Amino acid sequence: MTTVTSARPARPVHRASSRPRGRRRGLHNYLFLAPAVVFVAGTVLYPLGFNLVQGFQSVGLAEIVNGGARFVGLDNYRDQFTRGEFWHSFGISLLYTAVAVALSVGGGLGLALLFNLPLRGRDQLRALMLLAWLLPTVVSANVWRWLLDGSHGLVNAALSAVGLIDGDVFWLARPDAALVAVTVATAWTLAPFAMILLLAGLQGIPGTLYEAARIDGARPVQQLRWITLPLLRPVTLATLLLCFIYTFKTFDTVFLMTGGGPGGATQTLPIYAYEQAFTFFDFDVAAVATTVLLAVPVMLSLAYFRSLRGEDRR
Amino acid sequence: MTRTLGLRWSVAATAVTLIYLIPVYWMLATSLKPLDQIFASPPRLVPIPATVASYTEVVFADPDVVRGLLNSAIIAVGTTVLTLLVAVPAAFALARLRIRFVAPVLMLFLVVQMIPSINLALPMFVIFNRAGLVDSFAGLIIANGALAVPLAVVILRPYFLTVPGEVLDAARVDGCTTFGAFLRIATPMSVPGLVTVAVITFLQAWGEFVFGLALATDEAMQPISVVLAGLNNAFGTRWNDVMAVSVVVALPVVLAFVFLQRFIVAGLTEGATKS
Repeated sequence: MTTVTSARPARPVHRASSRPRGRRRGLHNYLFLAPAVVFVAGTVLYPLGFNLVQGFQSVGLAEIVNGGARFVGLDNYRDQFTRGEFWHSFGISLLYTAVAVALSVGGGLGLALLFNLPLRGRDQLRALMLLAWLLPTVVSANVWRWLLDGSHGLVNAALSAVGLIDGDVFWLARPDAALVAVTVATAWTLAPFAMILLLAGLQGIPGTLYEAARIDGARPVQQLRWITLPLLRPVTLATLLLCFIYTFKTFDTVFLMTGGGPGGATQTLPIYAYEQAFTFFDFDVAAVATTVLLAVPVMLSLAYFRSLRGEDRR
Repeated sequence: MTRTLGLRWSVAATAVTLIYLIPVYWMLATSLKPLDQIFASPPRLVPIPATVASYTEVVFADPDVVRGLLNSAIIAVGTTVLTLLVAVPAAFALARLRIRFVAPVLMLFLVVQMIPSINLALPMFVIFNRAGLVDSFAGLIIANGALAVPLAVVILRPYFLTVPGEVLDAARVDGCTTFGAFLRIATPMSVPGLVTVAVITFLQAWGEFVFGLALATDEAMQPISVVLAGLNNAFGTRWNDVMAVSVVVALPVVLAFVFLQRFIVAGLTEGATKS
C-alpha cells in the first residue's frame, strides 16, 4: 500500500515542518486520538476477536440467543478441514480470485498503457473508466445479471449476432458458465482500479529513460519490454496484492449474481460462511471459514512485505 | 512522452472507453423502456419511445423501494457524521500533535481495511443481537463506521500535514488552546480533505450491502442495496424497473463523480481500497 502511495506524484507537503508540534507534551493530546482508537477497537478488533473465539466454541441458534457457548478446542477446525464442501469453497475462491485478478491487472495494465499516451480528453476518459469501479456493487452485479439474462440479455444478443452462440445461453444457471460470468463481472469493476494504480506507477518512470532509449534506437515494443515493465514491477506487485485482497473477500457480486449456485459452482468462501451462519445458524463453522478467509490475505501480505525488505537489502 | 500522437490513438481510446461502459448505458437505456420493449428480439439499442414510467411508478411509488432509499439515506448520513466526528480529531492528532505510537496506530488503521466485511458482519450479528442493535439505525451506522473511520483517518492525515506548523505555533502564541487551533485553524485549512472523506464515506455507506444484509433482518430496516437485491425475485422479469432502481442507487456516485471528481480520485488512490 505504501509503495503505491509513494509512487504517485506527491501532494505538496511542507516537509520543512513535518515535525509534529503540539502545545506541550501532554496527555490531553491523546484525547484527540482516543475516540478513533476506542471506536476501532470496539467495532473491528473486538468483533474480530469474538469471531476467533467462536471458532473454538460450539455456537448454534441457542447460544446466539442465550450465550453460554461451550469450548470445543480445535473440533470445528478438524471438522472443516476434513469436509469436502469447505475445501470446495476454498478452491472456488482461489480459482475465482486468481482469474479475476489476472484479468483485472492484465486488463488494467493495457488500459494504463493506453491512457498514459498523450490523448485528447485523456483525463475525462480516465475518469469515465473509473465509473465502473465506483458504481455500488449491488448496481453492477444487477446490471451484469441483466446483461447475461438467458432469454433477453444483451450479451446473448451480441454473441448470436456474430454467430458465436446458437440459441439462448443461461450463463448464470449453468455450472460451467456461472463462475466465468461472475469472474468477468468482477474483473469489469476491478480493472479500472488496477488501471489507476498502474497509471500512477507509469507516471513515476522518468521520461529521460525513454529519451535515452529512443536515441539508442529502441522501438516502442523494446521500450515496453526493457524499461516500462521492469520499472513498473513494484507497483504491479502492489496492485496484484491489493486486487487479490479485494477479490478474495468479495461477497456481494457473487451473492447477487448467483447466490453461490448453481449447485455450489460459485460458492466462494465468504458465501459458504454466510450460508453456514444464516441458513444453518452454525456460527462456529462460519467463524472457522471467515478466519481462513482473513488468514490467506494476511499471510500473502506478510510474504509481500518480506519480499520488499529482501529487495531493499540487495 | 512528449511526441504528439495522431488522432488514431485518441479515437481508439475513446472507443475503448465507450465499449467498456456499455453496461452503464444499458442500465440507463433499459430503465427508460416500457416492459414490452424489454422482450424485443433483437434488443432495441435505443429506448424509443422512452418512458419514465419505471421511475414515477416504481422508484418513487413502490413503498419498499422508497423506504429502502430513505433508510440508506439515514444510514449514509449517520455514518458520515459519525466518521467525521471520530476521524477528524484523530487525523489531526496523528499529523500535528506530539504523541507517541503514531506509526503503529497508522499501521493498524491501514491494515484494518483489508478485513472482509463478512468477518465483521457475522460476529456483529451475535454481539448486536444481545445488545439490541440488530434492526436499528444505530447498529447499521456503527457497523458502517467500523471500516469507514480507519479509512477516513488514513485519507485525512496528509491534509493536516499540509497545515504549516508555524501557523499552529502562531495560534498558540496568541493564546489559542490545542482544541482551538484544531477547530479554528487546522480544520478550515483542511476542507478539501473533509469533503473528500465525507463524500467517500457517504457513497460507501450508501451502496453498502453486507452489513445491511446481515444486520437488518427486518424488511422495514433494510437499506436500498438489500431491497434492490430482493427486487430480482419480487419483480421477476421487470428489468426496466430493476434498472430504474439501480440508476437511482448509482446516482449519488455519478453526481459526486461529476462535481467532485478531482477530490475523489485523489482520495481513492490514497486509501487504495474499497470495502
